[in-house]
Amino acid sequence: MNLRLFKLAVFTVLFSSVGLAAAEPAAEVNGVVKGAVDEVLAVAYDSATATTPLALRVRPVLEKYFNFESITRKAVGPGWQQFTPEQQACTVTLFTEVVIRNYADRFEAGDRPGITYLAEVVPDPKRPNVRELPTSIDYAGKKYSVIYRMEKSAENWRIVDVKIEGVSMIANWRSQLNPLFQHGGAPEVIATLKQNLANSAAK
Amino acid sequence: MNSLHPRLLACLLVAVAASAPLAQAQKTPASPDPAVVEEMDEYANVQISDPLEPMNRAIFKFNDGLYTYALRPISKGYVAVVPAVAREGIENFFNNLLFPVRVVNCSLQGKFHRAGLETGKFAVNTVAGLAGFIRISDDVPALASIPREDTGQTFGVWHIGQGPYLVLPLFGPGTARDTVGMVGDYFLSPLNWDVQQNVEWYNWKVETGVTVVNGVQRLPGTLKTYDAVRKDALDPYIAVRSSYVQYREAAVKQ
Repeated sequence: MNLRLFKLAVFTVLFSSVGLAAAEPAAEVNGVVKGAVDEVLAVAYDSATATTPLALRVRPVLEKYFNFESITRKAVGPGWQQFTPEQQACTVTLFTEVVIRNYADRFEAGDRPGITYLAEVVPDPKRPNVRELPTSIDYAGKKYSVIYRMEKSAENWRIVDVKIEGVSMIANWRSQLNPLFQHGGAPEVIATLKQNLANSAAK
Repeated sequence: MNSLHPRLLACLLVAVAASAPLAQAQKTPASPDPAVVEEMDEYANVQISDPLEPMNRAIFKFNDGLYTYALRPISKGYVAVVPAVAREGIENFFNNLLFPVRVVNCSLQGKFHRAGLETGKFAVNTVAGLAGFIRISDDVPALASIPREDTGQTFGVWHIGQGPYLVLPLFGPGTARDTVGMVGDYFLSPLNWDVQQNVEWYNWKVETGVTVVNGVQRLPGTLKTYDAVRKDALDPYIAVRSSYVQYREAAVKQ
């Protein structure tokens, strides 16, 4: 038995109870990600509505499956607590716009990607409301590892982070937003997000 | 994001900069709520020493111009002139040629099973895939997605720290560890072996042509990755740095 199989066996034994408890959420988590991916692809490849900017078309779908409030909070980091409720609401609105526009801009309507959903992972047994669903995306002859991180808030599982080839969306935004907060607090974060959206609109 | 050429100049910089203290990439506010910190601390780990940040930023700006005004037109020309099938074949050929880099580093990391798979992949693609132009191995599930190993990753597996972040002209982002790793990759790559002694027709003209084609064929993919990270970023320099560090750390763990 190689080391990898041995580790897997140990992990399975140690966390078998977690695995059993997670049996029901697993279906839910899979369903949310599959639903999100299917709906986004359906919208993105819908030639009938292709004249409308993709960011506008996918926004309702992304808002349905992503928890943008949580994403913004995590992207800002611990400094989030020093934002006033008004600043928090404003930042969530602006950051949601930035993220949706950012990812819509990157989309290229080429071949439809093939997606393989792998087994769901519980990254931290102490936090049962967090799951990760690894997927393998086959696009333009290459395979990419994409991991969807999910959180359960209220009764629903929502996507809170996407890791592409090990690069976390939130960690990347955090590394950009945190220095802004350290330098000029919430006003600088908000001003920079506004400036970024204005620059994008001017292009 | 990674280059396959030596960064000897960078090695000198590394020696100077390696003694610099680790700059903490993120600071925590004075009195954060512990519950909030616990929820968020998993994202606070993108740390890299960047003592040369002013110089790195200047080189980043220079590279950005170089990519935009020199390399992008070349890349566009290559994509326009060479059909997609041929581009894919050329990319496959050069990737197949880098087999020694991958297999040696798999072995140095103790991943002998993976080294065996790499050998099988090389054999299949070289023999059945017309010297590697066709990636036949994609049809063999066990060989379809073997994580690539390089010397920088080997150093990471050996618990050598990544050292300071470095941006070099033309080559782009890197770390001290990866820069030294490039030297290892350079010598392991058959493209840099002294073939001229044994193969009569492989003169300096052919060698230069091969080097140029290899460089050009990598441009579309490299620029696409760069654009994906840089475009619409609040601070492109930090976005590229964060992505690079995360990507390489994930590669080491793989």
